[in-house]
Amino acid sequence: MPLNQSLKGREYQELRLEVDRDRVTRFSLAVGEDDPRYLEAEAARAEGFPDQLAFPTFPTVLGILASAQIVVDPELGMDYSRVVHGEQAFEWRRPIVVGDRLFATPRIADIYAKGPNEFLVIEAEVRDADGEVVCVARSTLLSRGTAGSS
Amino acid sequence: MDRPHIEALEVGQEVFEAAKVVKRDDVKAYADASGDQNPLHQDDEFARSVGFPGIIAHGMFSMAHVAKSVKDWAGNPSALRSLAVQFRAVVYMDETLVAKGKVAALDPASGDVTLDVWAEVERDGQRVLTIKNARAVVNLA
Repeated sequence: MPLNQSLKGREYQELRLEVDRDRVTRFSLAVGEDDPRYLEAEAARAEGFPDQLAFPTFPTVLGILASAQIVVDPELGMDYSRVVHGEQAFEWRRPIVVGDRLFATPRIADIYAKGPNEFLVIEAEVRDADGEVVCVARSTLLSRGTAGSS
Repeated sequence: MDRPHIEALEVGQEVFEAAKVVKRDDVKAYADASGDQNPLHQDDEFARSVGFPGIIAHGMFSMAHVAKSVKDWAGNPSALRSLAVQFRAVVYMDETLVAKGKVAALDPASGDVTLDVWAEVERDGQRVLTIKNARAVVNLA
């Protein structure tokens, strides 16, 4: 069944994430990061950063929470077993550091069909506690074979 | 770390090639750190039930390798401005993922360098693009 096009523009519940050292370190280690600035505070502070740096794609933690919230929206009509991650984009305004409190309100930026597949585009501006945008994230989920069927 | 200088770059120049062997333990660690616990990335039996020979890496695990390759080339944690990728093929355990980058555009006034980036594996003697049509912008000013 095709996705509900009328949900374009719908905003979902605000997500919050405390950027904690344990998670940042585990994320860095999992992606093979060996730069000490991403593994401990001291090396980052030595170069003027307020604390240990989070790996650039760390905001994916919020992206996973966002898509978990959106794909189960009963009005959207998405069959999660057909979904694959098609595209991903980040724009970074500054490095994210341990101690940041991040806020994001994900929204459905677009829904479109191409061939047999449909594409759901989720966008979120990730802001810090001061309301400054630190990162803009855009995830495109591909729903296999759902275009045009009824 | 030596940092690249925009004056020394040319459009079309290949600027990095970074290989990484994708290990099951790292993919498991990534699932736990990122929160993406889809069984497709952890449970071989589940992966086989949906037509794969075994578990596959998260697309974002591959994107992280591309991001790290670009970032390491730029040499400065604040230099990475954007990265956009398309996931085109899955990656299996113990495959060697190679990220590559090539200069697409240079803006000496701002210091922005746009790179075409991609990631590939060799599978059954064929080169398979797992991430393609990817673009990164780094600022070298």
